[in-house]
Amino acid sequence: MAKPFRPILLGITLSCLAVASGVQAKEQLILAIGGEPEQGFDPLLGWGQYGNPLFQSTLLSRGKDLSPQAELATEWSLSDDRLTWTLILRDDARFSDGTPLTAEDVAYTFNTAARAGGRADLSALEVATALDDHTVTLRLQAPRITFIDQLLTLGIVPSAERDNGYSERYGRHPIGSGPYQLVEWQEGEQLIVERNPYFYGPEPTFERLVFLFTGEDTTLSTAHAGQVDIASAPAALASNLPAHMNRTIMQSVDNRGILFPMQPASGEQAASGAPIGNDVTADIAIRQAINLAVDRDTLVDVALHGFGRPAFGPADGLPWSAEEEQIAAPNLGLAAEILDGAGWKLRDDGVRYKDGLPARFRLTYPSSDTTRQLLSEVSAEMVRPLGIDMQPTGRHWDEIKREALHQDAIMLGFGSHSPQEIYYLFHSQHAGNGFYNSGFYANAEVDANLDAAQAAESVAQANDYWRAAQWGGTTGYGVRGDASWAWLVNLEHVYFTNSCLDVGELGIAPHGHGWPITSNLLEWRWTCD
Amino acid sequence: MIRHQPRLRALLSAGITLLLIMGLIASQWLLGDTPQQMQFDARLAPPSLAHWFGTDALGRELWARTLAGLSISFWVGCLAALLSTLIALSLAALAALSRRLDALVSLLIDTLLSVPHLILLMLIAFALGGGTQAVIIAVAATHWPSLARVLRAELLHLRQAPYVRISRALGKSRWFVLHSHLLPHLLPHCLIGALLLFPHAILHEAALTFLGFGLSPSQPAVGVLLAEAMRYLTGGYWWLGVFPGLGLLIMVLCFARLGSNLRRAL
Repeated sequence: MAKPFRPILLGITLSCLAVASGVQAKEQLILAIGGEPEQGFDPLLGWGQYGNPLFQSTLLSRGKDLSPQAELATEWSLSDDRLTWTLILRDDARFSDGTPLTAEDVAYTFNTAARAGGRADLSALEVATALDDHTVTLRLQAPRITFIDQLLTLGIVPSAERDNGYSERYGRHPIGSGPYQLVEWQEGEQLIVERNPYFYGPEPTFERLVFLFTGEDTTLSTAHAGQVDIASAPAALASNLPAHMNRTIMQSVDNRGILFPMQPASGEQAASGAPIGNDVTADIAIRQAINLAVDRDTLVDVALHGFGRPAFGPADGLPWSAEEEQIAAPNLGLAAEILDGAGWKLRDDGVRYKDGLPARFRLTYPSSDTTRQLLSEVSAEMVRPLGIDMQPTGRHWDEIKREALHQDAIMLGFGSHSPQEIYYLFHSQHAGNGFYNSGFYANAEVDANLDAAQAAESVAQANDYWRAAQWGGTTGYGVRGDASWAWLVNLEHVYFTNSCLDVGELGIAPHGHGWPITSNLLEWRWTCD
Repeated sequence: MIRHQPRLRALLSAGITLLLIMGLIASQWLLGDTPQQMQFDARLAPPSLAHWFGTDALGRELWARTLAGLSISFWVGCLAALLSTLIALSLAALAALSRRLDALVSLLIDTLLSVPHLILLMLIAFALGGGTQAVIIAVAATHWPSLARVLRAELLHLRQAPYVRISRALGKSRWFVLHSHLLPHLLPHCLIGALLLFPHAILHEAALTFLGFGLSPSQPAVGVLLAEAMRYLTGGYWWLGVFPGLGLLIMVLCFARLGSNLRRAL
């Protein structure tokens, strides 16, 4: 070959390589980070209740410090009587079908969600009104400090009045103004989403995301086979890092604990038909003793392999939780004294009895959840020396809802960025409301504090009332009061991430539903060529 | 030598199986709560002199859990095989009473044999809410057809035997003939059938439990141990699956060999 052509040929070759490397840049991510919502991707029925609805946008979003930030609304204000929210919307927001998102859609979303009876609690909303294309007001029936959470979590859907508007099929075919749009959803298998070309924010790095809905075993196997870019790992198995992946830890307020049935068994049944009450756990001495006996540090070590921290309440470390609500170390001696004082006497079979009733009850956990199984088995072992026979029992979720929810102690988990969850968990008005207050806890003084918190004039004042509900000096739902739960651990969410994937600075995750790691999806970057 | 002496082989198999059964029964008393005892400082320890089969994620001794699991499987298998044999015998006897009943029983056998075993097992166990009782009923309700078919054929053959025909000609009732002439002949078949059903029963119990439709995950059943082992397989904790699996294999082989050797001997 003639020498003058060699540099030209080299140049062409390098150009081709450059183009080729551009073409091969990572366009698709495969994620196995949790399950799918049964009701579909419909915000009016609960999708996105913990924020980040992916397909839809919310009026406001949370910053890293959990403070409200502009999202669809660029300005927002609350009237002096704390009854009317006024929000000004951005003018460049469009749904994924290209039509503009207006104040009519926002008003429709809030008014319909209030009637839908989904998980978004809009019972305080009187009416939402569109004043013009970009201004909407939300009128409340009474002041409610936590109403702002609905602005942070409720995804906006297109009004039913428009073409492609909201319908019963929406959950399976969502249209929203979020960063991604749904391409295909094979229920129980996978969800494929692609960039929404009309998204008003920065363009996401990855054109396509594939969410796999696999069980724990399959998720780990696919991670070890290098077939996924992000895989959630149960804490018990998180120490075994697959090759070419990093361990990414997301701090959380996602907790696990034992919810006790608070009422004696009287033969009553909940609306679902599930029996209510348990004579053993209805005794405060049993609940206090269990709280004193469990060694939470050991639980973190054994059940979470160190990926977590002890929990003493539903919102440890958040402003609406009392910092003093702690048990320094397990105290079996004090626990035994409490039981003796309450008339629970130890017999030769190693179990305590009171008036012939053995201190024996089931501790039910979902059999598909390794972490909850380990927590149940270890905590049962820890209270056995006291003479309390807690029997770990694995069941399907359906069975738990049908039979166990209100009569067994249940290994449950909660954790939210909002104190609204405290209201649901401990207000007697929410007794038997799904998993919330499924132990039928009722304490008039706690109810009064919770109501006062909702009607508070400021967040600071509300926080005082939230904390007083936990322990008000004489009573409360917390470990110093009624000990309605034995909170055990706060989880760290552990993910295996492709070593080429930079997921940026992760915030604090709420309870696991809703793919919390995707909250900063727009910051994700691919770092390899 | 032994190969050509069926009775000796049967005796040898019976001896080994008897030893196994005695070991399993004795282990229930000897183990106490060892299978449940946790040692938090010895979690997932590999097999060693201190931990013969290694330990699981909660530091529980795997040898004790394997024995406890085999013991559970043994009792579940025994009860399920016994129930299954009783169902098979009852239906075969019913079939011998009249041609119509015979047709009905045959239809039932053919229908059940045409449905995949495991699916039917899962459906029954799920419908009954899982647990030991549900597994026993599910296994018993699905394993009788093959034995029932054998017993029915044997009964039809026996019905034509001269002494049965003479008995009938003398005016003896059907029940008398069934009770005095037919059933005593069927008992060896029942015994061998039950023995051959047993390995199937315990394998299906383990499979059901492994799939999450059987015994509670808090029981140290073999299926539970194998399901737990699957979760830790990617971590290289091979002993969690190998020892319970081997235990199950040995037990199944013992009973299967005993059944087939007895069949040949008798």
